Amino acid sequence: MGELFRRLRYLLFHRRFNRELEDEMEFHREMAARHGRRNFGNTLRLREQSREAWGWTWIDRLLQDLRYATRILWRSPGFSLTAVVVLTLGIGVCVLAFSMLNVIVFKLLPVRDPASLVRLQRRSPEIITPDTPYPSFLFYRDHTKTLSAMFAAMGAPAMELDSDLQPVSVNFVTANYFTELGANTAAGRVIDPLRDDAAETPPTAVLSYGLWQRRFHGNASIVGRVIHLNKKAVTVVGVIAKAFPSLHGQDPDVFLPIKQQPYFVEGSTALTDVFSGGGVRMWGRMGPGVTAKMAEQELLELTNELRKQYPKLIWDKEYIRSDPGGHQTVMQPEMYRAFAMIAALVLLIFIVACANLGGLMMARGITREHEIGIRIAIGASRKRIFRQLFTESLLLALIGAFSGLALTYTGLRILSALFPTPDWVSFAPDWRVLLFVVGIAVTAAILFGLAPALQIARQRQRGTIIRQILVGAQIAASCILLILSGLLVHAVLHLLHSDPGFGYEQVIGINPGLDSHGYTPEAARAYVNELKGRLLGLPGVTSVAMSKISLLGNGYTSYMTVDIGGHPVNIYPNWVDPEFFKTMEIPLVRGRNLLPRETHAVIVSESLARKQWPGLEPLGQKFGDQKDLVVGVAGNARIKALNDGDAVEAYWAAQPSDITSTTLLVKTAGAPDGLPPMIKSIVETLDPKLFPYVWLLKSGFRDYTQILENTVLAVSLLGMVAVLMAGVGILGLVAYAVSQRTKEIAIRIALGAKPLHVLSVVLRQFLWPVLIGAIVGAAGTAAVSQLLRKILYGISNLDPAGYAGGIGVLIAIAAAAALLPARRALRVDPVRALHEE
Amino acid sequence: MPLMPKSDMPPGALTLLILRVLQSGSLHGYAIAQRIHVLSSEVLAVEEGSLYPALQKMLLKGWVTAEWGISETNRKVRFYRLTVAGRKQLQAEISNYDRVTDAIQAILRTA
Repeated sequence: MGELFRRLRYLLFHRRFNRELEDEMEFHREMAARHGRRNFGNTLRLREQSREAWGWTWIDRLLQDLRYATRILWRSPGFSLTAVVVLTLGIGVCVLAFSMLNVIVFKLLPVRDPASLVRLQRRSPEIITPDTPYPSFLFYRDHTKTLSAMFAAMGAPAMELDSDLQPVSVNFVTANYFTELGANTAAGRVIDPLRDDAAETPPTAVLSYGLWQRRFHGNASIVGRVIHLNKKAVTVVGVIAKAFPSLHGQDPDVFLPIKQQPYFVEGSTALTDVFSGGGVRMWGRMGPGVTAKMAEQELLELTNELRKQYPKLIWDKEYIRSDPGGHQTVMQPEMYRAFAMIAALVLLIFIVACANLGGLMMARGITREHEIGIRIAIGASRKRIFRQLFTESLLLALIGAFSGLALTYTGLRILSALFPTPDWVSFAPDWRVLLFVVGIAVTAAILFGLAPALQIARQRQRGTIIRQILVGAQIAASCILLILSGLLVHAVLHLLHSDPGFGYEQVIGINPGLDSHGYTPEAARAYVNELKGRLLGLPGVTSVAMSKISLLGNGYTSYMTVDIGGHPVNIYPNWVDPEFFKTMEIPLVRGRNLLPRETHAVIVSESLARKQWPGLEPLGQKFGDQKDLVVGVAGNARIKALNDGDAVEAYWAAQPSDITSTTLLVKTAGAPDGLPPMIKSIVETLDPKLFPYVWLLKSGFRDYTQILENTVLAVSLLGMVAVLMAGVGILGLVAYAVSQRTKEIAIRIALGAKPLHVLSVVLRQFLWPVLIGAIVGAAGTAAVSQLLRKILYGISNLDPAGYAGGIGVLIAIAAAAALLPARRALRVDPVRALHEE
Repeated sequence: MPLMPKSDMPPGALTLLILRVLQSGSLHGYAIAQRIHVLSSEVLAVEEGSLYPALQKMLLKGWVTAEWGISETNRKVRFYRLTVAGRKQLQAEISNYDRVTDAIQAILRTA
């Protein structure tokens, strides 16, 4: 410890130490001279040797190298700027990806003791559901020994706040939800187990910070005031702190105690009936020494207990999956492929950037040959030269990495403005991101700086073959990036401008939420018939249809796997009434419409029919294992998956049991914009306890296309990065080749060669590498796009325009980039060029 | 004046000699070199190139401390003094040196 302390003291006061040593040696020299001895060697060297004992000389050398590197980079601003831009983009993309991964997967949520938190999810080999029936939750909570506490949240349809037009999202939470998470408040108190854990307590609500600001302008006097949710009076007891994280994505606007759910959703049996629709998301706190696996084991035993009570409720091989819950997301196996894909693309950009810069560094090495030669001549060791050159690369990489970080930060701010991001998510770089930035800067410096530094320090230049391979590889990699981004943009643009296959502009959706209010199928049928009659009486309404799936609303998007001819096929199902096709303007191209409540009949979309029974008559074909027969073929309507090129929709006639969860679709002759308030009041007069969700389908469509437009923007940016990289890379390599052949060019011109001829000689060596690179790149893209097709829909298999366009753009860039150094070569003064040799 | 080539001083011996000459009191750098030179009947000459790196190393190890004083020629100069750790090191090095020379002697006598 003493030695380290002395070492550090030396580092701190090294100036004083050095001065003292100098004085001391000066004295020694004087004394020696007085005694007629003068064997005192090179003082500078001696001083350095003495200082080395402290082990800090590397810092001096590093600083020295850094100073020199800064001067060198400052003196060639064009090169430095290009390099920094390339690195900023190449590294920035990696940092961006890592920062997002960090926020989503690595960062701990700002809750109390996130390490002991587990999220619990009901699963079986076939089924995954976010929701567990509330009575099951109570059973687990009351019997668990591994978990010291369990808490839950239940989603609910959006509610009307006072008489606002914009509904608010609500969550019912167990009374210990906030206390278990250690939540802070911005005002008032949280829901707590002592006061709010009974049905008969006065109704209370806790507001989110966002709603408090937005709706109540951050006024603290809201605490204690009565507001109305779906016309039910409730007292606001507090506002949750801004940094409170939702454990499941979107933050709700209002939190309500779960025991009061029946008060707000009249007729609901969700708290008592295991078979009722809704359910809760569950979390637990592991007791001391308990692991997630142990909790999972115990919950499995409890699930088997539960099966004895409710044999029909528990699935085959059902278990409760227990994941560490202190993070926003746990990487699930199904996410790996998408993640690997993104990582590969990002790394590709990074490697292209490094390769390009490597080429540039090589090219620059030639122009610095003179300087390096002199330094070696006056006694600099090759090791020292190498270290100096590598320090330059490191400096560049660090500048690039930190400006990449700045770019990332800005980018994430823009992203969080474009896509709603919860308040508590902070993109500010933490130690993990900083470590990553430094790590990737060093990696980049090694990738692009090591080989050129070695070559230049050895004063040996690379062979033509290696250079040509480098050009080819660069073209290939840039090609993949360019064509891929072209394909992506094309796919998304195609989607944006394609006809979804159904009319949505004049349609209004209504979800009365019958199932959450305990409606029986009979009551629901009567209600829907009555409502339909009233709606048809409204001015301008031409038809009303029923559909189980909420089209373009905020309903779930789900697909279903059916068996067709022994093969599982993924389709988008819907359960509708005969008016559906007319209302949504979906043509019936073959066969007939569904009859009301008809069973064993299905209508499929055109492309599903073509895919499943190519060249055959689809009518009368078997569909699924329920003995269903195809009775009709409807036009393609990408209702469930606007981003799917293949519209695989299938429609069944809605059965009585589907009525409770039905949505009504109202088609108007003119613009539908004025109708929703009228519709809302009709629905509410029919049954005042219902609070319907009413929306214009066209605004749902707009929300959807907005996301697509943003995607186009992001992908285009990626494509631009690729173009820029390709340009810089080729520029560097051609410049390198030209500068190596300056003498030859000079002789040719001196001997009277035509400039065009010289140019073609210089550029011809790149012809084959560029062509081969382009072909390899195109093949690589075809392979990658096959993979991408599995993740993103709408990427066509073969898009000649995309490929030809990508390759064309790349070759144009290559030519343009080659022209610059080539022109310089032509302007070479033969006499000077030869003289310099 | 015949100068002893550096390689002829056994490795590690310089530290031992510096520690030894400092045992009797603090000395400045030049005096250390002089003392070794004189005491060895002018056989051993310590080069500056070895002396100052060695002294820095000993400072780092904490075997000696340095303080400023006034030299015989009335100049401000740094005096080196043995620390407790330095004395221990000296004892260790002496016994180690004795062991090695005894061993070498034994071989020289009997082989």
